[in-house]
Amino acid sequence: MLMPLDMLRAGEWAEVEEVTGQPAWVGRLAELGIRNGARVQVVQPGSPCLLSVAGCKLCLRGGECAQILVRPVPGASA
Amino acid sequence: MTTSVALVGNPNAGKSTLFNALSGLRQRVGNYPGVTVELKKGRCTAHGTEFELIDLPGTYSLAARSPDEMVAVDLLLGRRPEEPKPAVIVSVVDATNLDRHLYLTSQLLELGVPVVVAVNMIDAATAQGLNVDAAKLSQQLGAPVVPIQANAGVGLETLMSAVRAAAGTAPPTGPAFPEAFDAVAAQFQKELSDELPPVLARRALIDVGGYVEAWLVERHGNRFKALLAGARDRLAAAGHAVPGVEARARFAWVKAAVSAAVTRPAERPVTRTDRTDAVLTHKVWGTLVFLAVMFLMFQSIFLWAKPLMDLIGGAQDALAGAVEGALANGPLRALLADGVIKGVGGVLVFLPQILILFAFIAVLEDCGYMARAAFLMDRVMSKCGLSGKSFIPLLSSVACAIPGIMAARVIENRRDRLATILVAPLMSCSARLPVYVLLIGAFVARPGAPAWLPGVVLFGMYMIGFVVAPLVALVLKRTLLRGEPPVFVMELPAYRRPKLGAVLRRMFDAGWAFVLRAGTIIFAAMVLVWALLYFPYTDAAGESYPVRIEAAEDAAKEQAPRLKELKAKEQPTDAEKTELEALEAAAALPDKLNGEWKRQSALGRAGLWMEPAFNPLGWDWKIGVAALASFPAREVIVGTFGLLYDSGDVDPKSIGDDTADEDAKEKAAGFVAALRDDWAKDPVRSKYGVPVALSIMVFFALCCQCASTLAVIRRETNSWRWPLFTFVYMTALAYLGAFATFQIGALIVG
Repeated sequence: MLMPLDMLRAGEWAEVEEVTGQPAWVGRLAELGIRNGARVQVVQPGSPCLLSVAGCKLCLRGGECAQILVRPVPGASA
Repeated sequence: MTTSVALVGNPNAGKSTLFNALSGLRQRVGNYPGVTVELKKGRCTAHGTEFELIDLPGTYSLAARSPDEMVAVDLLLGRRPEEPKPAVIVSVVDATNLDRHLYLTSQLLELGVPVVVAVNMIDAATAQGLNVDAAKLSQQLGAPVVPIQANAGVGLETLMSAVRAAAGTAPPTGPAFPEAFDAVAAQFQKELSDELPPVLARRALIDVGGYVEAWLVERHGNRFKALLAGARDRLAAAGHAVPGVEARARFAWVKAAVSAAVTRPAERPVTRTDRTDAVLTHKVWGTLVFLAVMFLMFQSIFLWAKPLMDLIGGAQDALAGAVEGALANGPLRALLADGVIKGVGGVLVFLPQILILFAFIAVLEDCGYMARAAFLMDRVMSKCGLSGKSFIPLLSSVACAIPGIMAARVIENRRDRLATILVAPLMSCSARLPVYVLLIGAFVARPGAPAWLPGVVLFGMYMIGFVVAPLVALVLKRTLLRGEPPVFVMELPAYRRPKLGAVLRRMFDAGWAFVLRAGTIIFAAMVLVWALLYFPYTDAAGESYPVRIEAAEDAAKEQAPRLKELKAKEQPTDAEKTELEALEAAAALPDKLNGEWKRQSALGRAGLWMEPAFNPLGWDWKIGVAALASFPAREVIVGTFGLLYDSGDVDPKSIGDDTADEDAKEKAAGFVAALRDDWAKDPVRSKYGVPVALSIMVFFALCCQCASTLAVIRRETNSWRWPLFTFVYMTALAYLGAFATFQIGALIVG
């Protein structure tokens, strides 16, 4: 099931399926590791939210999180 | 023969730490026209070779989105006239986060320059159970790899010998892109028939809406647009649509390299950073800690800076006194004492605040807390179109806009940074306080007025800044600084112990930059206003005012004991009464002459001439002159008011300060009385005293009467355009605000 990243709750893991929006923004996110197939964990939901990506913490705004479609991975870890 | 070496890496890779460790004190700041970035340059000698190091701003990739980001790319390609193409690029990467950092390395490998990869923070990686095999990684990347620990100076010798060995060797190639992509890129380059490095042609192709694209559109116009669209369509048809193709190709390559060279534990351990973040980014606890940190910072700026500022003020007075004692009365002496020494003092007096604020910023940034603070404040700041990173610069501006504007350096987004810089002077700085206290004391806190009124008015004056600054920021972001909403994504780096050396260096850099580049302009402005108030210095009869004042002062001093004696008499005779009056008039003569002189000075005449412009604000020409004279530094208004109202030179610090000495207090009280008396005689100001006082205060709250602020904006934005803009918009805002305040106030009173 696909859902926007901002729907995830604290501690949940997901796999990035699609990143939409301005090409510059998609490119920047890819540089930071948020790209198709990447595993992300929501550390703190809300706006801005905290994500854990490849062992790094990133902070994004809610509206921007909604542009990232993910597939939740139950009970996973990195 | 020196070898030029460029250091490139992601933010938080420890690039600056490496740069400082290598170059020590042999550093300078390179300045580049048209951009706001600062490039640091340093020298180091190792293995008998002299290296010239350039520390480029931290970046996640070479996909430039702004002229600032393009500087780094151009420099690496040898396209900046100021710098030769570097002989070697050192790619600094974080050992604990190779997956991410090697992305930039993969781009650097394509620039046609030998690359050495410095794997930094190898100790932290070991602590997390990561093992990086340098030899295997080097084989995978096709470039030498040296593990280092920059903050402890470990591995630097090996790194520099690898750099020396790499200089002059054949450049590496980097990851392979799909063949179809290479074919389209080659064709695109041929069609373009421009002397463009292939790397830039590929960047134009990949970075949709990026800087290279915009630059080429400007250069070639529609022909280029058509070519670019065609090439991108062909790529999309081949299944390699931009920009995704780059991330796929590079990350696949990075993944292969990392999996071959790095072994990691099955489970990622919960680090100390994770545990600390659980508190510091928490909505309640994190906010409380943040408020406590901010309070501590503020309190320190106010408390620690004050004695130092007083010290500078004291030294300035002592020096001016020495000059006055040593030289004969005349323009030269006045220039030295009132122009030059006050000018230099006016520059140096800001230093304590700047140094303290930058010590805090350096510690907060180096330990990694700054990103958490920005995270916490982002929700509030996003409402006015800014990001969390603007919070500290704006808050610091409540103490003083100068350090606040300099603190805006931490904001990477150019438009956010500009918006922050442009509204920072609206925050009520500490120099406005004497003006508020003076006018509130004279006109609001009158007998019969409610006891709470002065406090409310003062609070209101501060609120003007807190309300207007975000509003102006919002307007700027919607109009002048409009653009795509900035990509707000921020990395929260791992916590690290700040290093004393690095903190001291930041303080020194900030202080030096201020004194050297802003100081000269501030100094010039101070001397200019001094001259406008000094010349012409002869009265109608051709006699020199300074000479007359000095004579009057000497006479008053001589008669002082007699005056005191007469004043003490309980029942003076008529003759004594006449004598007392004459003596009192003589004692007041120096201040009176001074007032006369200032009124007929160049600035005084200008004020008289401009009176029609001041009338709608409820001001007379005296208030106008005082406002004009305080354009270089707003606290000057208190002193100028004093001169114009024949009360002598009042020290702004003595206004509202209970600890001031008796003389200064008496002078301040006399001045407030003189101000009230003068206004009582005037039909407008006697009736509308409170609206007029409020109108002056609102004017001061909104106006950019601070040459130092403008000089710092000029320095930080590297252009005269923005300080000019700030000056114009704030003056207009101040005039309108004062106009509205007086007119509405007059309606209510009248």
